[in-house]
Amino acid sequence: MSDPQRDEERELVEQAKRDPRQFGALYDRHFQQIYRFVYSRVREQTAAEDVTSEIFMKALKAMPRYQDTGRPFAAWLYQISVNAIADRYRTLRPSSPLEDFHDLSIAEPPLEEQAAHRDEIRRIWALVEALPVQQKTALVLKFQEDMKIEDIAVAMGKTPGAVKLLIHRGVSRLRDEADSLRPAE
Amino acid sequence: MSMPHDPDLEDVLQDQELRRVADLLREARMTEPPLDDAFRSDLRRRLMSQAWGMGGGGTPWWRKVFGPTGMVWATAAVGVILIGAVVVLTATNQPGPSDQVVVSSQLANQSAVRLQQPIQVTFNQPMDHRSTEAAVQIAPATTVAFSWHENTLSVTPTAGNLAPNTQYQVTIGPGAKTASGQSLTAPKTITFVTQPPPPSPSPTPTVKPTPPPTVLTNQHLLASMPDGITNVLWSPDSTTVYFVTGKGALESVPAIGGNPTVLAPDGVGSVAINPAGDQLAYIRKGNIQILAIGQGTTTEVVPAAAPVLVGWATSGVEWATADGVYTVGPGGQGKVAALPATGTATAISFAPDGAHLAYALDQSLSVLDLATGKSTVLGLPGAHFQGWSPDGTGVMYSGAQAVVLADLGGRNTTSLPAGEPSWSSQDEVLLGSDVNLFVMRPDASGQTKLADGTFHLPAWAPNGIAFTYFRSGELYTASAPTPAPPATSPLDAAASVVNLFMKARKDNPDRANAYLDDNGRKAYMSSTGGLNLQVTGDPSFSRYYVLTGQITGSHPDTAQFVVRIVLAHNSLDVKSLEETLTLVRTQGSQQFLVDQAAAGPVLTLGATAEVVSVDVTATSVKVTFDSDLKPETVTAGVIILDSKGKQIGNMPAYAKRTVTVDGLDLKAGKSYKLVVLSTVQDVGGSNIAAEYDLTFSGPADTHGDRHRDTSPSPIPQPSPTATPSS
Repeated sequence: MSDPQRDEERELVEQAKRDPRQFGALYDRHFQQIYRFVYSRVREQTAAEDVTSEIFMKALKAMPRYQDTGRPFAAWLYQISVNAIADRYRTLRPSSPLEDFHDLSIAEPPLEEQAAHRDEIRRIWALVEALPVQQKTALVLKFQEDMKIEDIAVAMGKTPGAVKLLIHRGVSRLRDEADSLRPAE
Repeated sequence: MSMPHDPDLEDVLQDQELRRVADLLREARMTEPPLDDAFRSDLRRRLMSQAWGMGGGGTPWWRKVFGPTGMVWATAAVGVILIGAVVVLTATNQPGPSDQVVVSSQLANQSAVRLQQPIQVTFNQPMDHRSTEAAVQIAPATTVAFSWHENTLSVTPTAGNLAPNTQYQVTIGPGAKTASGQSLTAPKTITFVTQPPPPSPSPTPTVKPTPPPTVLTNQHLLASMPDGITNVLWSPDSTTVYFVTGKGALESVPAIGGNPTVLAPDGVGSVAINPAGDQLAYIRKGNIQILAIGQGTTTEVVPAAAPVLVGWATSGVEWATADGVYTVGPGGQGKVAALPATGTATAISFAPDGAHLAYALDQSLSVLDLATGKSTVLGLPGAHFQGWSPDGTGVMYSGAQAVVLADLGGRNTTSLPAGEPSWSSQDEVLLGSDVNLFVMRPDASGQTKLADGTFHLPAWAPNGIAFTYFRSGELYTASAPTPAPPATSPLDAAASVVNLFMKARKDNPDRANAYLDDNGRKAYMSSTGGLNLQVTGDPSFSRYYVLTGQITGSHPDTAQFVVRIVLAHNSLDVKSLEETLTLVRTQGSQQFLVDQAAAGPVLTLGATAEVVSVDVTATSVKVTFDSDLKPETVTAGVIILDSKGKQIGNMPAYAKRTVTVDGLDLKAGKSYKLVVLSTVQDVGGSNIAAEYDLTFSGPADTHGDRHRDTSPSPIPQPSPTATPSS
């Protein structure tokens, strides 16, 4: 069954491949998503702007060579993003504390529980940042960006099986390292 | 708290504890990051500016010019199509005082410019876009669009590419003003010549299997290095890969895979392996360490000044410092060649044979010949070194959205698409990028995508089969498919002889006799009324190109080529002469030789449209012009006649400077004539200077695939029996 949104995106991609001047529509569609992802990784506005510029410039230049593999166009943009951020990381580490970025507001439970739960989430994301880069990237794309395994595979240039393995190893390591994450007795 | 079920992770996280961790990860929602709307709109504007520079695909130019999104460009596009005589000035400007407007272009004086690229003109200061665009003239008549990036103007033909075999002159007239309102003191003209058209596809479409998404084999991980990588090199026998990590550790790993071995734990900068592959030199802690690989012993060279780069010459290890290149001789350390004393020179790379050094001097890239001490500047300021040819006689550097391949004199350039290149011993160039990997010949032919995905820092093994690449903190190796042998169809074999013959006539006429058989020597015996083998005088023989060529018969294989000889005065094309060459493949050597030759009149090259390529198949004739034409003048102005003078074929169709007459049934060896009437006009409204006639033969049936090799075609060699006629 055809997906109207995917069909529309395919059409936009085909137009941009034929005529790079049509790339503006794809930019408008994906800018916010990519900028947010980049910012979450570099944590600094100027750096996020630099990297986002680099990503879209690279995407525009590579547009004529883009091939539809059946995955969303965003997966390809994430692939460029992951590489651009990796390049950036080689020279610049994120400086802002993680707490500044993730919204930890949780509705409903009593205040004490909320605080404890919030603390758990904060600590587990801090542990994510300390994971090996491949595991960290896979977890961020899965749990923060809410991407499908197949799309993460495109973004990371790996097979879906390899991505699953990275996620399994990453989550297992988090479990092992976070004793305090066990539910309160 | 229970999170929504994620089927994606069902088989990944089966343990309840793991699922709870996953739920926690998913619970944190991202806050909106700070976003400057001005940045968002500015980036969009820059992207659109870049997109205009890249040009569009198949949209008709008038739609682009007059359509809603293109309206803003209408004035600019129309403003450049009227071409008159072009003022001739030097194409390369000397740097002047800061208030003078300096105009430059990487294409200036180039002789084989790629067809798919914009003409980029760089100014030394911000320009007023409107007046500058209005001041651009381009010959031959070409409809173009403009875009800017900082101080660089991209002029892009709306046809999508440049015309082949064409000398372009792009003039920035004195009406161009700087952003501060200063006018150019004089017009500036940039002249360059484009390369021939790409080979046309097989006349009968053949069904080709869809290539698999990747054709790489033996792909495997060699090493992980999350801190990055600074150096990769192969052992000469292609069995071992040496690399330096981002932390400065020098390690080696077998190319077939295995555990990396640490050769030096940290602090390693430059590294080089000697041609025998038994010694590795590297810089560590300001000294040069030389590791005997088989023995594991290290000796140390303590240079007088801090080394920044190490390499191997035939005589031994060599290194570069801030002021020059040094080596160790019988009398101790000595300076081989000096780097410039003015400005900041930074050594970048030694050539594989150790005879040259690439270095940056402030913003420019140069090559230093260590034997002569002379430097040659490569490309425009801002060019970046990207690699050597395996034999060290060629260099690759970044150009305008391209990888430029050049000889060590900075000449004979060809442009490849932008990317990260590596040049193999099999004469293939890998081009890696964030999104895919291509391979192609150094002349840009045979472009083939090998795989999708990220391929950074590709590096061929010396055997030209395996290569390494870097992806997401990991070093991999893979094997590329064995390069296909060059096509050696009868047409290609004959074309090769034509090129060798014409090149010899231009550079060394005595050697041209070697490509003539007995009849051919008579045809070029000027003392008995034949043609002149040596083209002399002023205007002088500046270049030639094949206008058209076909196999016209078999048993023996016979080919007919029309070659245009271009005569120039002060580097400008002013006259042309066409020769029709008939080549026959000899029974003994199986080599084509020129058997007959006939010359047409010398024609004056004017400011109007010229035919620059004619592609003949059994069913169609495609005539490519150097100018954009008025389509309505083409239908009655381009005619194909048979040997009885009867017009044949369907009504001509026009697109992108090319007129196609199809519906033909050309017979092998029969004579036909292409006629271009003087009623044909370019987009500037100028009629063709005079009727143009070209007589050609119908192509032989080559079983629907003229690139198929039907008989052995040895590499052309000068005929051993040929001697200069006297």
